Amino acid sequence: MADLRLVLVTPEKTLFDREVDSVSVPMFDGSAGIYPHRAPLVGRLGVGELTLRSGGGTESYFIEGGFVQVKGPQVSVLTSAAVPAGELTVEEGTAALEEAKAEKGSTDAAIESREQKLDRARKMITIARRN
Amino acid sequence: MANARLLVKRLKSVRNIRKITRTMELIATSRFKRAMDRATEAAEYTRKISEIVGDLGKADLKFSHPLLQDRPEPKKSVLLVLTSNRGLCGGYNGAVLRNTLKHIETLKADGIDYSLEVSGKRGIKFLNFQKVDIDESYTHFEDSPTFAEVDELGSRYVDDFIAGRIDRLDVSYTSFQSISRQQAVVESILPLSSLGGDEGESGGSGVDYEFQPSPQEILEEIVPAAFRAKLFKCFLDAAVSEQIARMVAMKGATENADEMAGDLKQQYNRARQAGITSELAEIIGGAAALE
Repeated sequence: MADLRLVLVTPEKTLFDREVDSVSVPMFDGSAGIYPHRAPLVGRLGVGELTLRSGGGTESYFIEGGFVQVKGPQVSVLTSAAVPAGELTVEEGTAALEEAKAEKGSTDAAIESREQKLDRARKMITIARRN
Repeated sequence: MANARLLVKRLKSVRNIRKITRTMELIATSRFKRAMDRATEAAEYTRKISEIVGDLGKADLKFSHPLLQDRPEPKKSVLLVLTSNRGLCGGYNGAVLRNTLKHIETLKADGIDYSLEVSGKRGIKFLNFQKVDIDESYTHFEDSPTFAEVDELGSRYVDDFIAGRIDRLDVSYTSFQSISRQQAVVESILPLSSLGGDEGESGGSGVDYEFQPSPQEILEEIVPAAFRAKLFKCFLDAAVSEQIARMVAMKGATENADEMAGDLKQQYNRARQAGITSELAEIIGGAAALE
């Protein structure tokens, strides 16, 4: 029942363009699963893990924001950066976390950006640990 | 025979230079292919963005976003100049810098305060020589700029623009139109005139979408994304154009060297023949004198 096609695009590269069974994307407010015959959707993505299942196996990518568009059988994921989850290391995540922690913000915008960075680093560590 | 030896020396050096220019041509060709591939991949992203923008257009909402608002009386602008780090690429940097100087003149005439940001050693050197003040300079964008590097600049521009610290962003770079046509242009990319590239908002497939969280919020996210993609495209275009310019320049240089080597070889042969003839004449003359 491979009537779902996932296209994962970053500004630098088209990372993935294949038929899949199902996809789970990190939306801005939590994870959302996409199965074949889903109604058309345009949504905002958050930072997190994108998981796809095809032919019994699963693959996952760490993606940073962007958009998802579901149109018929095609799922397009646009994101500014995507890394295969297997390539993430705990050290990398910890370093990002330390960096975010060291940041001091006094304005609202700075605090918000710090929170976002902390969130991103924590998610990186979670995903890296699992592998 | 001194003449002939001189010619041999020159011939050798011309051949050496030919080897160098030929190699540079080959390197530029392979780099060009790589840069071109990257540009094609990036075009895919821009295309998708404009598709989503087109879809948003169907969801009857007003396209209002700070980045899209035209400011009637710009006071402060940023001029970003993209040149190469290396020379030997024909008129590539010259064209961009000529345009830049012209643009600076118009900015001055209009009384718009500007800050100049230059990427590439060539541009920095030239503008220093012209005694033009540079506010910011970058040399780390090589022939394959990464999105993360460009994004750093992009985020700063977005923040400055929204905060009202700048009213306009112009980029002076070489735009890539086709393999045989690149043009140095000054383009105003903030405020954004159109979303998602030159193809226009062609999308909109008539599909009834579900928007999460809401069309308005997606628009708020997608406008900066479209801007960043556009800025990134400028860098990629510049990189591709640079390699093409170098390829063409080096091809010309190789051909000239070939021609020069041919001429020198001919001159050398003539000089050698003249030497032999005069030697023979001397021997014959000597023998005739002995009789």
